[in-house]
Amino acid sequence: MTLFRIFILRRLLQQPLATAGTLVGVALGIAVVIAIQMANSTSVQSFAQALETMAGKTSLEIVSTGRRIDETVLGSLGWLRQYGSISPVIESDVLVSNNQGTLESVRLLGIDILRDHPFREYQLLDFGNDGTPDPRRFLSLLLDPDSIVLTEKYARRNGFQVGSEVKVVAGDEARILRVAGLLRNIGPARTLDGNFALMDIAAAQLLVDRLGQIDRVDIKMPEGAKLGSVEQGIAARLPAGLQVQPPARRGKQVEKMLEAFHFNLTALSYIALLVGLFLIYSNISTSVIARREEIGMLRALGLTRSQALALFLGEAGFLSTIGCALGLVLARALALGAVAVTSTTVNSLYVTSQAPPPPLGVWQAVLAFGIGIPLCLLAAALPAAEASRVPPLAAIRGADRTAAGGALRTRYLLVSLVLGLAAWWLTGFAPVRGLPLAGYASALATVFAAAFAIPPALLLTLRIGGRLFHVLFGVEGTLASANLLASLRRISIPVAALVVSLAMMVAIAIMVGSFRQTVLYWVEQTLHADLYLRPAARANVATEGAISAEAEALILSDPSIEAASRYRNFDIPYGEARVTIAGGDFTTQLKHGGLLFKAPLDGLRAMERARESGGVIASESFSLRYRKLPGDSVTLPTAHGTASFRIAGVFYDYSSDRGVLVMDYATLARHFGPLRPTNLSLYLKPGADPEKVRAAILERLGDRYRYFVFTNASLKAEVLRVFDSTFAITYGLELIAIFVAILGVVTSLLTLILERRRDLVSLRLVGAERRQVRKMVMIESGIMGAVSQACGTGVGFILSLILIYVINVQSFGWTIQFHVPWAFLAQTTVLILIATVLSGLYPAYLATASTLMEQAE
Amino acid sequence: MPILVLQDVHKTYQEGETPVPAVRGVSLEVQAGELVALMGPSGCGKSTLLHICGAMDRASAGEVWLEGNRLSGLSDQEMTVLRRRRVGFVFQFFNFLPTLTVLDNIALPRLLDGAPKQETSREARELAGTLGLGDRLGRYPSQLSGGEMQRVALARAIIHKPALVIADEPTGSLDSENGLRILKLFQTLNRESGLTVVLATHSAETAAIAGRILRMRDGRLRFPSTEKETPGTASQTGGAEVPR
Repeated sequence: MTLFRIFILRRLLQQPLATAGTLVGVALGIAVVIAIQMANSTSVQSFAQALETMAGKTSLEIVSTGRRIDETVLGSLGWLRQYGSISPVIESDVLVSNNQGTLESVRLLGIDILRDHPFREYQLLDFGNDGTPDPRRFLSLLLDPDSIVLTEKYARRNGFQVGSEVKVVAGDEARILRVAGLLRNIGPARTLDGNFALMDIAAAQLLVDRLGQIDRVDIKMPEGAKLGSVEQGIAARLPAGLQVQPPARRGKQVEKMLEAFHFNLTALSYIALLVGLFLIYSNISTSVIARREEIGMLRALGLTRSQALALFLGEAGFLSTIGCALGLVLARALALGAVAVTSTTVNSLYVTSQAPPPPLGVWQAVLAFGIGIPLCLLAAALPAAEASRVPPLAAIRGADRTAAGGALRTRYLLVSLVLGLAAWWLTGFAPVRGLPLAGYASALATVFAAAFAIPPALLLTLRIGGRLFHVLFGVEGTLASANLLASLRRISIPVAALVVSLAMMVAIAIMVGSFRQTVLYWVEQTLHADLYLRPAARANVATEGAISAEAEALILSDPSIEAASRYRNFDIPYGEARVTIAGGDFTTQLKHGGLLFKAPLDGLRAMERARESGGVIASESFSLRYRKLPGDSVTLPTAHGTASFRIAGVFYDYSSDRGVLVMDYATLARHFGPLRPTNLSLYLKPGADPEKVRAAILERLGDRYRYFVFTNASLKAEVLRVFDSTFAITYGLELIAIFVAILGVVTSLLTLILERRRDLVSLRLVGAERRQVRKMVMIESGIMGAVSQACGTGVGFILSLILIYVINVQSFGWTIQFHVPWAFLAQTTVLILIATVLSGLYPAYLATASTLMEQAE
Repeated sequence: MPILVLQDVHKTYQEGETPVPAVRGVSLEVQAGELVALMGPSGCGKSTLLHICGAMDRASAGEVWLEGNRLSGLSDQEMTVLRRRRVGFVFQFFNFLPTLTVLDNIALPRLLDGAPKQETSREARELAGTLGLGDRLGRYPSQLSGGEMQRVALARAIIHKPALVIADEPTGSLDSENGLRILKLFQTLNRESGLTVVLATHSAETAAIAGRILRMRDGRLRFPSTEKETPGTASQTGGAEVPR
């Protein structure tokens, strides 16, 4: 311990900036991993927790295998009471006005209070001593179809009280409801941070336009009943079209739906950690290289090999413990940012989620230290082992220090080659449970192949470029390249770290650029209508909000409309996940639309066949995920039991990764009942001004109906907005990784400067001016940056191919056309070069800060 | 004509709160073409005085003129440029840049002054050839013997044809044979090229090559700078006569 204190801790304190750089690198790496884990679990858990709080004491639920349960079926389910209490419910997301004059998403539960009170706990504010109302009195509050019960939390936040009027938008219609009561923060009222509302089931059906339909029947088993046998018993007796399941299954489906999105974010978050590990490796190996003579001396005095190993592993352990602790503190702040950035994607593409990330818990601490410390020790293992092998005499003579730089290590090239081949081999594997594990292994192998290729690449650059550096930068260029050549082993590691993060940035930029270009093309080709309408309450496919007949009539009464295409989509369970079923006006689409077909070649003919034969067309992600091709059949749960649909064609679709099956509206109605459309596409007569028609429609709809009406241009812009916000976090994570990598360059330059202090004195003695020394140091950082940028760009191109053609296809099932965003890459190249050159500023300042004689001392 | 003039030069270092005088009131004149030895025991202040003479350090008080330039009136930048162009250095521990080849180390002062690389390399090659280093140019300093290293240091000190060469214990790290060889080189350069040299040493053998010997003790010159102690006197104090 004493040896550790005087040999390791003292050095760390003597080089506070290099130590701080490493700590910040590790802390940021850990913080990003924990933050993404927290952000991911927030969206899943907010849904699961909402599910759990809303489920209350529900043991099982009866749901439709398709969409909803027809209320008339309830009469034939009287036998369910043998298994416990039952309560029919409907659940929907509605919009409720807040004090800022905007609308907030609120989860609405419609219940029969007389049946529901054993299931869920409701306590009303100002309602007797404990707030638990008599069900009959509660019923009296709910009976008025124009009343709603909000939570105390929501009301307090927005200044509402009992008797207040609130605007509620369900579907497309805005209605004014009276707040009949306020729920204390207990039971379902805790859902979504208080964004919860309660209504009588009949009133709720009326509000959300689901007369005659319920979402599910909750069952509460008596004490002591066995869940498994009850579930089996019920399943055996249920009529076709219904199924029994524990409430948590819906959470699992959402988790599955978000799995690929979360997996990719998690993988991305590990880049910063990987770069942080490079820093640890760099710090420990620098420490070992710089102190070979001291280690040799200690070995000569009796330090055993295992003690030498323990000393340097101890250094890594010490740095990683502090780094992880700092990272943990930083993680929640980053998680808040990550949730804010990802919420647009999650809310627009998957499910409504609005909870903030949870506070840091033991689990996050276990994860931070459990991942951080072992990985840091692993990163330090190689240099620590090298320390243990230092021969006492050779080290004292300093003989092996001079031999360290300059020689081409062919084994590095060999390892790089083997890893490169492994990366190529791994691209051929199929996904595991829908996750591109081999694809990520391939990307990782590529990254390490690149890291091992760095020392030879640097050697080659410095040897060949030596003359060029002199021509470009004069004697300072020669000095800089000679210095780097002599410190090849030390600089290889921070350069490799920078290469890794830059390669990922380039790869992501190409992938996102390609994706954006593909989406742009797709949008151009497929969005032909002049106006697009959807009810304001409809945030995503999982939320309700159909276009009412009255509103549709009002809209279609506009004389400028030549044709209208109705579209309806909803989620149904499919296997372990959920897929989207959609109905569209195939006749109008055939005439006006522009779906892009992947197969067969004549997609329009396929669409026509689907219309005639009652078949479906499948999105590419459905086709890839479930391995279905044109000609195959899919079996779907419908309102009348399961039915088989033949896939007539596969079309490109980038609006969702969950898989979409589209059928003609008539086919949809035949199988799923008469459903109101959720979207309308309007084709205007020649010469009609879309903006004017839009204004006219909105005026006609008045205050009563709430709609989003997009013109063709604004919808395209909206698509790109959602697209860009989806990838905002990828750039955020990348920037952190690059920052950590540049930190690595700064810390290694600082270390080099400290080690070369004597050489700098010599240089000053023979007449080097301060500015020349500064220029030399900045050229060194510039060369490191330029080599990193060049290698990073090359490796980034390879990684982008893996991302686009392996990982993306296996995760989301999207074909992306390769497109290089040259302008973006050129800008970032210049910026990174400037950033790396500037990273030499402080080390350069340090190199010349003191007077010559102070330096000499 | 004096190349170097020191007038009542003092240098005091601060060690915490305590001022430690290293040079106390030294006045000195060095004429062009002179070879002056500064002798004295370790810690007497001769290295400090040498650093001040070579524009490496500033005096705490007094004035120093190098080729007519008053050093106290020069900025750090001007001092550096003056040092680079008009002063050459030879140190006991050589002070090479280990990352540069012998050729580049020799050429360094010229390169730092912005001289073209080709021309500088040619000059460095020629100079190295005359010093018997022609086959060592591509090597790194760590691959040379002590004697070779000091010859490289000498080559680096004179490549830019300085007005003054400062040598601090130039034979301190060498065996006697190599030490003698280097001293001969100093002598030859002084005699044949008129090179002005001020060297510091604690060895009478080394001082014996000088045309004038100045003795230093406790930061002071024992003789006035204008008085001259001959090499013969030096040998009487225990130094050996250097063969000429």
